[in-house]
Amino acid sequence: MRSAEPTDWVAIRAVIARDLVAIRRQKAVIIPMLLVPLLMLVALPATIGLAASARRDALDIGEFLSSMPDELARPILDQPVREQAVILIMQYLLAPMFLVVPLMVSAVLASDAFAGEKERHTLESLLHLPISDRDLYLAKLLSAYVPTLAISWGGFVAFTVVANASAWPVMGRLFLPTRLWMVMILWVAPGVAALGLGIMVRVSARANSSQEANQLGGTVILPLVILLVAQTTGLLLAGITAAAIAGAVVWVVAVVLNVQGSRRFTREAVAAKL
Amino acid sequence: MEHTSSATAILPAWETPGVPNVERPPDAPSAIETVDLTRSFPTGVAVDRLTLSVARGEVLALLGPNGAGKTTTARLLNGVLRPDRGTASVLGLDPSTDGVALRRRTGVLTEVAGLDERLTALENLEFSARARGLPKADAHRRARELLDRFGMAARADVRVQGFSTGQRKRVALARALLHDPELLFLDEPTSGLDPTATRQVLELIESLAARGRTVVLCTHFLAEAGRLADRVAILHRGRLRAAGTTEQIAARLWQGLDLDLDLGRPADDDLLDAVRRVDGVKSAEAVPAGLRAVVSGRDDAPRVVAAVVAREVPVYASVPRAPTLEDVYFAVEAEFATDEPVDADDEVVR
Repeated sequence: MRSAEPTDWVAIRAVIARDLVAIRRQKAVIIPMLLVPLLMLVALPATIGLAASARRDALDIGEFLSSMPDELARPILDQPVREQAVILIMQYLLAPMFLVVPLMVSAVLASDAFAGEKERHTLESLLHLPISDRDLYLAKLLSAYVPTLAISWGGFVAFTVVANASAWPVMGRLFLPTRLWMVMILWVAPGVAALGLGIMVRVSARANSSQEANQLGGTVILPLVILLVAQTTGLLLAGITAAAIAGAVVWVVAVVLNVQGSRRFTREAVAAKL
Repeated sequence: MEHTSSATAILPAWETPGVPNVERPPDAPSAIETVDLTRSFPTGVAVDRLTLSVARGEVLALLGPNGAGKTTTARLLNGVLRPDRGTASVLGLDPSTDGVALRRRTGVLTEVAGLDERLTALENLEFSARARGLPKADAHRRARELLDRFGMAARADVRVQGFSTGQRKRVALARALLHDPELLFLDEPTSGLDPTATRQVLELIESLAARGRTVVLCTHFLAEAGRLADRVAILHRGRLRAAGTTEQIAARLWQGLDLDLDLGRPADDDLLDAVRRVDGVKSAEAVPAGLRAVVSGRDDAPRVVAAVVAREVPVYASVPRAPTLEDVYFAVEAEFATDEPVDADDEVVR
């Protein structure tokens, strides 16, 4: 009967719209959710860009780059010396933030999906609505996914503007975004967000509170964050094809997790814990 | 009244566990039919072999102490929980398999209002209406109408966070009625309401019943149930212990009718003996104001009065006292209070 029900997009949109309004009004959620991207994607690049622009002499990172494999260091070494530090930091070292932000934001929002409803005593009235189990799960996924993408992409645009503007005295040109970055932002980051949701919505359906969901989910999400930070720079240096393949792998895992989660989710299981 | 019942004697035959659909009144279209509906949790059996029939347009009060299984029954009947055993048909649909279609036609007021405090009263209602498929404009109009009807128009655009319990309950009731449901599950609809709001809600439920809506009322307030319900069903530890009108249950519980005579003083033994000899009198006992007799029916009352007057004892008042719902409820409660807990050997694996 789950598969026979056509998807009720009106009901799904209603749940998403309600959740988005509610999130917007919840300062305890919205402030940390915006603060982290602001620090990572605006304050950090602005500081680095301004610091680089303020230096009269070029920062020589040739020795540092020479310790890296030649095929990885070459694209940076081919640039003028005074641009090398900016390119290394802005294009490569800060890149993991674009994957950490969607993962963190999706985790925060998804942990609230069902556990938050339970905490606010709104879960039962939600379960009594004529929304199928699958649509309810999908609505909760999208309720977290839409703002995650909005914040991630908004953060990326802000980063690009701030990085280009603050480093303009050094670079004298728009050096971001690169094609590789576009792959990261438009392909890998949404996959990472979906991966975070695939874990956290399931955790949220089982947890009794958002706090419990965060604690349970954190044990999975934190290693992923560390893995992302460790691997992203290397991925960027490895090129577009490698990034696209890595993104595809992330998407496959995310889709499997989410499809499984949707199939296993039943209001019966959630209601039995009320 | 003389106590005569056993546990199942209080139930009509068609609502006796394990006896499906016999002696059911013919031509009575049912809103709800359950046969042996059973649901367990790891903590025990919540609903145990519930066989129940509710006619369309009927108001049924589900009574019972906390943990009796009232809320679980409502969840089972609305397809939120699935039974371990037994079947249910609600508005002609199986809640287990047609839950979505069923919930479009039912409205639920949960015990806790369950409103999102971050939203305004209007937004809460609009959300529910939209989730039920109402177009945006209709959802807005209908939500405003109902808030107005429940005296909440002035607070429509205020966030629920600051609302009193009564205000929340009123908004939640409005939400339950948004789509003009055929069947309503109302869990403690008046708890937390002030007397005026309580009266409004009771009148509303009466008007819904008058319009042919079926109402399942879960409540602790016996007076409320007595006023509103066509029939009551008394649950105890998940089992249906009694069902029917107050009179029907009383007739199964007790033989005869209490008759109180106000004599201005307790009846003496001679008078009691004289009364006991009257046809139709089953028993008689002295009470501070006179005597209380149990008679077969109202028609026996004049003979009892005549017997007393014949002994030149003044009778200031003669009151045939039909059992109230409260009498019935506590008699059923007392009967099952010492029951062993229901066997939970069939706990469900979630």
